Amino acid sequence: MRKIIPFVLSLLFISSYRLASQNKYTISGYVKDVKSGEQLIGATLVVKELPATGTTANAYGFYSLTLPEGKYTLSAQFTGYQTKPEVIELNKSTKLDFALSDAETELNEVVVTDEKRDQNITQTQMGMDKLDIQQIKNIPVIFGEKDVLKTLQLLPGVKSAGDGSSGFYVRGGNTSQNLILLDEATVYNASHLLGFFSVFNSDAIKDVTLYKGTHPAEFGGRLSSVLDIKMKDGNDQKFHVSGGIGIIASRLALEGPIKKGRGSFLLAARRTYADAVLKAITTNPELKHISLYFYDINLKASYRLNDKNRVYLSGYFGKDDLGTSSNFGLNYGNATGTFRLNHLFSDKLFSNTSLIFTNYDYKITTSFGANSLDIISRIQDYGLKQDFQYFLNAKNKIKFGLSSTWHKLIPGSITTDSNSPLSKRGVPNKYALENAIYISHEVKATDKFSFEYGARLTSFSLFGPGTFYTYNAVDSLTDSAKYTQSQIVKTYINLQPRAAFNYILNAKSSIKGNYARNTQYMHLLQNTTSGNPTDLWIPSSNNVKPELCDQVSVGYFRNFLDNMFETSIETYYKQMQNQIDYVNGAQLTLNANVESQLLYGIGRAYGVELFIKKKYGRFNGWLGYTLSRTERKINGINNDTWYAATQDITHYLTAVGIFEINKKWTASANFIYYTGNAVTFPSGKYEVNGQVVFYYTERNGYRMPAYNRLDIGFTYQAKKTEKFESSWNFSCYNAYGRENPYSITFQVNPNNPQQTQAVLTYLFRWVPSVTYNFRF
Amino acid sequence: MKKIIQQLSVINYQLHVYCLLFIVTCCLSSCTKVINIDLNSANPDIVVDAEVTDSATSYTVNLTQTVNFSDNNVFPAVDGAIVIISDNAGNSNILTETVQGSGNYVTSNLRGVDGRTYYLSILSKGQKYTATSTMPYGVPLDSVIADTGSTQHHGGGFGGGGYGGGSTAPSVTVRAVFTDPKGIVNYYRLIEYVNNVPNYNTISIISDQGQDGSQISENVVRRDTSIHTGDTVKVILESIDANVYEYYRTLKQVTKAQTGIQTTVPGNPTTNLTNNALGFFSAYAVRSKYVIAP
Repeated sequence: MRKIIPFVLSLLFISSYRLASQNKYTISGYVKDVKSGEQLIGATLVVKELPATGTTANAYGFYSLTLPEGKYTLSAQFTGYQTKPEVIELNKSTKLDFALSDAETELNEVVVTDEKRDQNITQTQMGMDKLDIQQIKNIPVIFGEKDVLKTLQLLPGVKSAGDGSSGFYVRGGNTSQNLILLDEATVYNASHLLGFFSVFNSDAIKDVTLYKGTHPAEFGGRLSSVLDIKMKDGNDQKFHVSGGIGIIASRLALEGPIKKGRGSFLLAARRTYADAVLKAITTNPELKHISLYFYDINLKASYRLNDKNRVYLSGYFGKDDLGTSSNFGLNYGNATGTFRLNHLFSDKLFSNTSLIFTNYDYKITTSFGANSLDIISRIQDYGLKQDFQYFLNAKNKIKFGLSSTWHKLIPGSITTDSNSPLSKRGVPNKYALENAIYISHEVKATDKFSFEYGARLTSFSLFGPGTFYTYNAVDSLTDSAKYTQSQIVKTYINLQPRAAFNYILNAKSSIKGNYARNTQYMHLLQNTTSGNPTDLWIPSSNNVKPELCDQVSVGYFRNFLDNMFETSIETYYKQMQNQIDYVNGAQLTLNANVESQLLYGIGRAYGVELFIKKKYGRFNGWLGYTLSRTERKINGINNDTWYAATQDITHYLTAVGIFEINKKWTASANFIYYTGNAVTFPSGKYEVNGQVVFYYTERNGYRMPAYNRLDIGFTYQAKKTEKFESSWNFSCYNAYGRENPYSITFQVNPNNPQQTQAVLTYLFRWVPSVTYNFRF
Repeated sequence: MKKIIQQLSVINYQLHVYCLLFIVTCCLSSCTKVINIDLNSANPDIVVDAEVTDSATSYTVNLTQTVNFSDNNVFPAVDGAIVIISDNAGNSNILTETVQGSGNYVTSNLRGVDGRTYYLSILSKGQKYTATSTMPYGVPLDSVIADTGSTQHHGGGFGGGGYGGGSTAPSVTVRAVFTDPKGIVNYYRLIEYVNNVPNYNTISIISDQGQDGSQISENVVRRDTSIHTGDTVKVILESIDANVYEYYRTLKQVTKAQTGIQTTVPGNPTTNLTNNALGFFSAYAVRSKYVIAP
């Protein structure tokens, strides 16, 4: 860090010195949708006269460009929107807002150029996927609920954790190594109904960006990826209602101006009625009394106080409720809230201050005989984040900031009836403080060469009160120490440098490289492959060291036929330290000594990702293929040799196609194929105490059968006018009824106790669904 | 604490059952099928089932071998082994195989005494396997109570045998009550005999962690036997040592994985035997009480 700051300063000095001789002025403003007033995140600003300059709008649609005095043709470009160039005589600093209209409508406007963008070639960022929310609507999904997490799993480098799971693996990381942010608040469990749905209601979502471990320095906290999801702000021009009615879930969203052109709000809600459907069709009397549903609410409001200040408030609240009538219930959910203030210190210095709250909890209610017992587990974050973006000049952009988060973890607190003989002891609470400061500098060195470098310095402190044990081997206590409240048990400090470059070979192709180190201080303990709402988050401690990962990646990007086709090849190599695995028969839930059940080691992952995308035309879609390997070497597993990690999937192939048959009908299909993940199966059996026990010889020595699936969908645009829009969506998930394995278990054959057998469980064969969507 | 853990494992079990039921009913087709899977064959390994108690007069060590998964459940005996059990009071006994080729080795003049440490040594086919177990002091049962279980009949229970089985919910629950000695670490295992038939299908183990010195009241968990009025129920309270407790605990986790819940960490239970032998050696104290089901 000490070396980096002078380096940054000297670079700043050099670059400002070069331009100091000319008169230069700043053009700044916002890029937004003309009809809704939604800011267009990541819109590109292009200067016709200076093709090498240009910039992109930030997460709030703000841009700033400093250019020498002169006459320029400036345009803002955004996929699916028309470009309207503005001619400007730059002789003083100027405010210029762009209001773009989407390409479909208003075709009779005078100046229209639907630019074919080549941002994938020109931007320095690599290892990044951006989902087009408009496109998601047409991709078939299970139960007809369009889902950003499921759609992400169709992109190269992102892999599904299986049917019935919202979890995903990014470049060899496991499901807990993804940082999922909803308007900057961490979402600790992104799944509804044990993973059949994700918590993100796509009606409320504006932008979805996934960084595959190559994220810029303003993000951090997880090893393999950052999924940055931003909610819509709501329409600041006109009041709208939209919604959808499906077979097991319905949605409704309201949006409109608080004050026209100044402020807006959005309220979106969803509710499933899976249990009602279930009760109606079942003959099983036990199912007549169950509850099985989720709901979630997204709320957003924004208001422009004046030209320099804008405030945002966003909130999410979701709950899942599962239970039988009397003796068992589980409910869980996330709640997040973010308050943000955008402030322009000048037309070059943009600031955002965020206050962030997040909560994830679950509650289990059970009764045993006459006694009842509640188990509550909770994780809460209180955070402050301050980000600055300094648009120094057309070639230099600097981002810096800090963040601080207080984590409060309640692993398991137990309440019982007052006279209950059941134990009331839970697991002690944990407290931790996570801080970060960062700086990054983006440089457009020449027409062809741009680079970005930066660093993130983080600290993590675990606080008392409580007794903290030290374990040197499994279940062997070597030491214990008592700490009082606000006493620090352990502090870790890590510097995470990053660097990236882009070299543009010609107008059609470029080469990019990236190096990043990431650190993860919060760890999720999971002992089932699919994940459970009751999986436990633990902080780094005297026993559990922060996970570290170094990733190097290189990519070649090439566009064909006037940017009609985008292609890329990216390769990566990752080295991971302090990876966590579990002892045989690990006891992870409600165990005060859970750290005694953990084993530590190193990991490595490498792979190559191929991607071809057709962006425009009646037929569009993409093809992705990933060849990769992920391995671990953990002390105490498989004689300390390298073995395949659970998420090691060799081949991963996806294809998505969307075809506009005519103005009314759109057809879509996606296909997915992947190698089964690594699993532990028995290699023999034996008998003790009259019971057959299976004999295991190695961890993850087997593979699940390969997975493949085709989904098809049709969308019928029933009506489309200014006042009212409606459509029908028909889809079939798993169209050819493949019995894809969810799990394989081993048991004594119930019909012949002399034999044992393997039983495959699969979740879905054909799942047809119909959804009606409307908007007025 | 451990009680909670047991309860929680029931809950996790229910959760999965639940999830599966949801899926079965929601989706149009059934969801399990028996498949052929090509599993590696493993070299046969020795399996030891050995115990010393403070109640009987002779003790058996049973030696068998592992077989391949696809084989029938016939486990070849390991014969011709030299098996020795000794204690820290200077007693030593060479066990004799009851019938040649049976793999059952018995002691002749060894008495299990509370508080003594026992050493097992096996020499078979050129390999030596050893284990150590300390017999804790026996803890008497205060009472064994049979509750008639109207409270056990819940409207929508998926627990226990409900999944995949179709057996009825138990009508009588047996509860063991005993007082944990204060100041020492204790581990227990409960076994229930209904009309002299033992039930080994579930593993009831208890640790005094978090409840040291208190009176412990523990339901005997049962999966597939039900008790009827007039049945004689004997409950045995074994006082076991820490390593044996760990063996049973991990065995329980592993067998749970076998009954439908896929965990990422299936494996062999932690044993007190050396040289990669499977099974365990337990020296334990035994106390028991009867109750007639009401």
